[in-house]
Amino acid sequence: MKQSSRMVQRIIPASVLVLMTALAGPSQAQTSDSTRISELEKKLERSLELINQLSTKITQMEKSVTASTTSPAAPAQQAAKVEQLEKSISEISDNLSRRATDTGLPMHGFTDVGLASSNEDQKNVLGVKGRKGFNLGNFDFYMAPQFGDRVKSLIELNFEVSRAGAVTTDLERLQVGYTFSDAATGWVGRFHTPYGYWNTAYHHGAQIQTTITRPKFLDFEDKGGILPAHTTGLWLNGKFGTAAGKINYDLTLGNAPALSTDPANTSLSSLAGAGPFSAPLKNGTYAGSGTLDMQMAGALTHRTMTGFNISFDPGAAEGLRLGLHGLRGEVADDSVDLNRTRLGMFGGYGTFITDQWEILGEYYHFRNTDVSGRTGDHNSNAGYIQVGYNTGLWTPFVRYEQTRLDQTDNYFAVQESGRSYKRSVVGLRYDVDPKAALKVELNSTRKELGPKVVDNYPEARVQYSIRF
Amino acid sequence: MSIKLSSYALAAILGLASGHVLADVFVICNSGTQIAAGEIKDVFTGEKQLAGSTKLVPVDNGPAQSAFLASVLKIDAARYGTIWTKKSFREGLTQPAVKSGDGEVLDFVRKTPGAVGYVTSQPSGVNIIQKF
Repeated sequence: MKQSSRMVQRIIPASVLVLMTALAGPSQAQTSDSTRISELEKKLERSLELINQLSTKITQMEKSVTASTTSPAAPAQQAAKVEQLEKSISEISDNLSRRATDTGLPMHGFTDVGLASSNEDQKNVLGVKGRKGFNLGNFDFYMAPQFGDRVKSLIELNFEVSRAGAVTTDLERLQVGYTFSDAATGWVGRFHTPYGYWNTAYHHGAQIQTTITRPKFLDFEDKGGILPAHTTGLWLNGKFGTAAGKINYDLTLGNAPALSTDPANTSLSSLAGAGPFSAPLKNGTYAGSGTLDMQMAGALTHRTMTGFNISFDPGAAEGLRLGLHGLRGEVADDSVDLNRTRLGMFGGYGTFITDQWEILGEYYHFRNTDVSGRTGDHNSNAGYIQVGYNTGLWTPFVRYEQTRLDQTDNYFAVQESGRSYKRSVVGLRYDVDPKAALKVELNSTRKELGPKVVDNYPEARVQYSIRF
Repeated sequence: MSIKLSSYALAAILGLASGHVLADVFVICNSGTQIAAGEIKDVFTGEKQLAGSTKLVPVDNGPAQSAFLASVLKIDAARYGTIWTKKSFREGLTQPAVKSGDGEVLDFVRKTPGAVGYVTSQPSGVNIIQKF
């Protein structure tokens, strides 16, 4: 309305001006009066005609403006315009959101640094005590690219410092999976062997692990462990609910590990080397020099290792999990005697994890059979129990662990870390923030190296660990 | 539209100012998805990944997250983050994306099959799983 009023205000003076001009023009002409009057009349008529036309247009414009503001169709038109605007804004928002979240493949990981003082005898040399000072832990990162709704993968790379001080790289996990349902996901590749709870729950995730150290017998293959912490092969896992609770399961089939020996690098002193080993090992020089090799590039034989883990989370006791687990496969070493052992592990575990409590316990019983010699069957066992109580930022914890490993069983006798031991651990964790933890840990270990040869040693450790 | 935006902003401000005390939380899912109220916790902790043959896509609502965690999952943000770190590390799952507010959550849930989210005002065009 305002616009049309302004137009009227402009058009009327212009029309008057045109009329005045038209009227004034002829007075300046040097023609006869009749001719001049006739011309003036014509001009006046044209001017009036023009004014009428302009007036009509103004009226039409005023009508159309009024119609656009008072017509019943106006709200519908406005709503359509608003809807269009909302759609545009939504599209812009979508694009912005996509830009904000589509920042490439998210990468997460863990790292830790620490300080330690250990009185453990150095390898090969009794009486010369272990390492002291600052140390680097792991720099572990992982990513989980998804390919559509069902196909997924998990890739983990770890950099660590070996005992010799060299930086080493491990392709910890490289697994590609397909989710059939919540009850079944199949994986192929290299993965953390799903025995017990600890190995898959924490592994290299120092920050999510309450303590600094793992139970020694569950450590990594090259750090003191006695079991294959990784498997290259197939893994089927899943979970399904029942009226009483949730059942979780894992089934694995992979390359059987082998024991790689290095006689020049045995963990036994000459004194301990006379231990109660089998005849071939007593005659050989490779006892205590072997480490488990995951055969992730494939093996020269078709030896396989199978495993299972089944657990139950009762609905009536939130945080409780009870499980059974086992491993079976033939493990050969590369010594001159080419010992072969059928590893048979069966055990159970229980965890109780709430906001305050973390109680973990695992038991492993070994019934191994020498399939290459005459030493027969051997029984060994290992286990630990750990209790932690979270008071908010502080979590004090204790752990006791023990192994009784038959040294006439070639599987343990060949391994660098195959000696029996007992260890008590006490410590305190402080959560600096949700992604950083400072831990202090003291432990006392009694390791049996051979008949009447024992290494008793304490250790103190401090660790600062983060996740990202 | 300005009224809509204002109400979202007001809801967000109220959510921020009052923590989880005053806000209602409507847990919603895409209209083509069926989730039972008892499965909400499993969906937001990665225990349930599929509804029938549809992949579930849970999303968090930034301004309403603390209210949701407190009233629905009964945990705090730090614990929620730790749960997802473990899930991600152990099973290769991805933590739910965080949306900027009710408007963005609603829009995402309406458009995305399998999407599950939560808002602080009565929503339309989606399935309401449960109001807390």
